[in-house]
Amino acid sequence: MDVIKQIIELFPYAVAGSILAGMICSFLGVFVVSQRAVFLGGVLTQASLAGVAFSFFHVLDLEGWITKITGVPATHESYFHHFEPVFFSLLFAITAVVIFSQSYRNKKITQDIVLGLIFIISVALRIIFTVKSPVGEAAEIESIMKGDLLFINFHGFITLLIVTIMVLGIFLLFRKQLQFVTFDIETAQAHGLKARFWLFLFYLAVGIGISITTRLVGDVFTFAFLVIPASIGLLGGRRVNRVFLIAILFAGVVPPVSLYFAFITDLPSGPTSAAVAFSLFLFFVLIRKLYHIIRKQKSAITVEIS
Amino acid sequence: MSTSNREILFELKNVAVGYGKKIIVQGVTFSVTPDDFIGLVGPNGAGKTTLLRTILGSLPAISGTITQQNVRFGYVPQRDTVQPLLPYTVREVVLMGRFPLIGTLNRPSRADKETVERALELVGIVNLRDANFTSLSGGQRQRVLIARALSLEPDVLVLDEPTNGMDTPSHYALVDLISRLHNENNTAIVLVSHLLTDVANVVKKIGLVDRNGFYFGPKEEVLTNDMLTRLYNSPMSVSCIEGEYVILPGKRGI
Repeated sequence: MDVIKQIIELFPYAVAGSILAGMICSFLGVFVVSQRAVFLGGVLTQASLAGVAFSFFHVLDLEGWITKITGVPATHESYFHHFEPVFFSLLFAITAVVIFSQSYRNKKITQDIVLGLIFIISVALRIIFTVKSPVGEAAEIESIMKGDLLFINFHGFITLLIVTIMVLGIFLLFRKQLQFVTFDIETAQAHGLKARFWLFLFYLAVGIGISITTRLVGDVFTFAFLVIPASIGLLGGRRVNRVFLIAILFAGVVPPVSLYFAFITDLPSGPTSAAVAFSLFLFFVLIRKLYHIIRKQKSAITVEIS
Repeated sequence: MSTSNREILFELKNVAVGYGKKIIVQGVTFSVTPDDFIGLVGPNGAGKTTLLRTILGSLPAISGTITQQNVRFGYVPQRDTVQPLLPYTVREVVLMGRFPLIGTLNRPSRADKETVERALELVGIVNLRDANFTSLSGGQRQRVLIARALSLEPDVLVLDEPTNGMDTPSHYALVDLISRLHNENNTAIVLVSHLLTDVANVVKKIGLVDRNGFYFGPKEEVLTNDMLTRLYNSPMSVSCIEGEYVILPGKRGI
């Protein structure tokens, strides 16, 4: 109990932020997984990381430009640590989304190939920017890029809160359109919806959600919570609402619990969260299998008796 | 339905369809009126789906003109293209068909829900309204997709290979349903299929889709041994027994 109290007192934003990050990822994850676009999630996390790495490459004086335009002198710390990495992470992820969403027209270079290409170039650029960064050692930058739930501060928490509200807002306001295009885009278009626009909005929301969480909590956590809670939701939910409920509840509970384990075992919080989530996924699959076996045996016994 | 019986719903004049600059079918000329039941047939890969996409507006025509005045297309895609992982209920799937008619930020109204119920009744699956779409058989899924298209209250119902991969009873039940929708519900229908006999026995007019051209007319004029032999590049024979067409490969006329 003391440890929990200590974590909440020392890292209140980390606890709250980890819950938000998990919930954003799981909510988007249900759509991503049910769209069979898991690889898109992985690619977007890598594109975001390339963007974060680019902010450490320091070839664009964004800070200077903003000061020039607004006339407000910026505190170097705030720009360097918060604004620039988030800005470039978003920029790279949105660029990836734009390229991906335009690629449906091409019959020879399929969307799978486009995703593969974005993945390759993102990883390559990330390494190049990190190695050639003038501001720090590659290992140090890599460890910053991995993100850590414990490092979510007030700024990070507010950013996650804004993204949560924005993503939920988009999906609640345009639920009908997004539901139809993610279910059957061909018919949505034939029935008169601007299907390509709505699908782009969907990918954009996914891109923004993934890029911000990747920046703040790292690619391992983001990708794990895109895939695992959604998979559990799809296995356990018999209605769409329940799939979302299961996924979001799971992703809201597991990160703070993982934070506790990471804290007491001195392990990195992102990978620990992913490992805990994966173990729970395996446990869930096992329980489900056992339940089906027992049910089959019971019905076999009933048939024999009757 | 928003048009009177004599009106032309849409018309294609000397249209060429394909991807980019690559023409797949050309010389497509035909029009559809509200009492039409048209079959578009041709061998696999002849360009039927490409033509369909052009008619529906998802693919631009390479040349020629397509005229239509706010025609509402109720589209039924090939069943295999809709394989959702999310467990939507039948009612949720059918309601999607109405979404384009509901304001961007509005929620479905009582009237929308009643239209969905009517569509479910028309295709005979009211009892399945709360079932999961993914748990249904192929024939049932196809009926759900037809109900979804009907929930739009379309001017033209467009079906792409609706009986593909179905067992015989489901196959004929579905052909009957489509026929009934045209006769009892006065819906114009464009049916795309590679199953010539199926189409021949239910439609009024036929469009033969071929890479060398497009032939359109009343089925009695189009379904001739010569025309089909040319289309399939091998001998075909057309027989009519008690008003039912039987089309067989080779010179096996009955």
